Amino acid sequence: MFTDLSMVVFTVFAQMSVGAFIVLGAVQVYARVQGGRSAEDVDRVTDPALYAVGVTLALGLIASIFHLGTPMNAINVLRHVDSSWLSREIAFGLAFAGLGFVFAATQYFKWGSAALRQALAALTALVGVGLVVSMSMIYASLDAVPAWSTWVTPAQFAITTLLLGSLAVGAAFMGTVMWRRRQAADEEAEEPTTDAGDLETISTSLKGIAVASIVLLGAAFVVIPLHLNELSQGGAAAVASAEVFSGAMFALRLALVFLGAGLLGFFVYRFAARMESNPQPLAVVATVAFGLVFVGEFIGRSLFYESMTRIGM
Amino acid sequence: MATQLGFYFDQTRCNGCKACQVACKDKHDLPVGVTWRRVAEHGGGSWQSDGDTFSPSVFATYMSTACNHCERPVCAEVCPTTAMHQRDDGVVAVDDDLCVGCRYCEWACPYSAPQYNAELGSMTKCDLCTDYREEGLEPACVAGCPSRALDWGPIDELRERYGDVDAIEPLPDPAITEPRLVITPHRDAQMTGSGTGTIKNPLEV
Repeated sequence: MFTDLSMVVFTVFAQMSVGAFIVLGAVQVYARVQGGRSAEDVDRVTDPALYAVGVTLALGLIASIFHLGTPMNAINVLRHVDSSWLSREIAFGLAFAGLGFVFAATQYFKWGSAALRQALAALTALVGVGLVVSMSMIYASLDAVPAWSTWVTPAQFAITTLLLGSLAVGAAFMGTVMWRRRQAADEEAEEPTTDAGDLETISTSLKGIAVASIVLLGAAFVVIPLHLNELSQGGAAAVASAEVFSGAMFALRLALVFLGAGLLGFFVYRFAARMESNPQPLAVVATVAFGLVFVGEFIGRSLFYESMTRIGM
Repeated sequence: MATQLGFYFDQTRCNGCKACQVACKDKHDLPVGVTWRRVAEHGGGSWQSDGDTFSPSVFATYMSTACNHCERPVCAEVCPTTAMHQRDDGVVAVDDDLCVGCRYCEWACPYSAPQYNAELGSMTKCDLCTDYREEGLEPACVAGCPSRALDWGPIDELRERYGDVDAIEPLPDPAITEPRLVITPHRDAQMTGSGTGTIKNPLEV
């Protein structure tokens, strides 16, 4: 268990970053088009989460270095972009980090027009999708590893990306609300620091996140048995790799993702409807939901690496 | 294209003594856990009953494999650094100055040819004993086989002399990498994909 810890941390964190960035973009678009709010208003909600995305991605990239036997040669991994998905992954990863950093800086300092910053965000999101695609192709293109060389790999990576991204944004939004409330209480301010419009945006976002997480949970629970079915019908190596997806850790993974995304997802939706009076229950449920799914996905990714059984000898 | 080199393995002569494996390990001073040439025992079978008489119908064959210096070296294709490369003579080798030790080639190769050396922090593999060949010697495994089951040379010549069989269990489907390997199969050998046996010494290979 956890033999490829650096890879587990890197892939989970990088995918969560891409997912969260995309979800923040969705919140922006929805709040401005449907909610009729100004860019400045929505930025107030999404910016703290945006900075957290940057930290998460940086942690993931740092973790990936620990996977290398000769980190001093790390720069060489960009040499084979024309042939190696691993080179492409790192190229996309660095581009996503670079563009994301520039975008966060323009948001922080309010450089350039809102339209220009949105275009930059859209480009960053696109590069992020490229990162997840190239990441899944690293594994899906290996004919020697039956557990990986299947459509299931990109499907599972996409689900992890959006599921963890959604729940992380939900937890970050509620964390920000609670933190601002506490600050206001400490300063004994009369005015609430999160205004009603912002609370409306957050409440709507959390409802959307709850629905998304329940739908993605359903997708995950369709993909997993199809994967097992595929492996059971393959050769000896495929059958041997399927043994990883049994036992206590696999059961724990399924249970955690079900509880977090399914059961708590339902409560996130319920509590989001009445968060204006008291945001605390929503904050707790959204945070615990994220925590459970994070641990579940982390275990799931460890099992994914453990399922590396090659054909041949 | 220059002459492309490969290996020949006569399975009918191999008795699984692993002298090739040890000769390779000794020649290249390989640490514990790094074994460029390995010998797998592939066996299976069951009982046949005839009335009250049960008689065994079993088989066991040996397969000696190192790097096959493939026509389509997936290890070099997936290598992010270009450290894993194919020379003009077809030999696939690692450039230590470039290798980052990510072990991606190890995942990609169905013959377990690229192997990670933790002391070096980089990948290592069979280079068909380049230094020996430059001195006019044979690769250590070929020279070390007491039953002369191994040979090496330009793959065209090997195929002319020995045929073109390369899909024998427990080797993978040759379509994946197009190995430069020729095998004279044992009478009990099974074709890749239709085998009924298993590797009996998995911890050794």
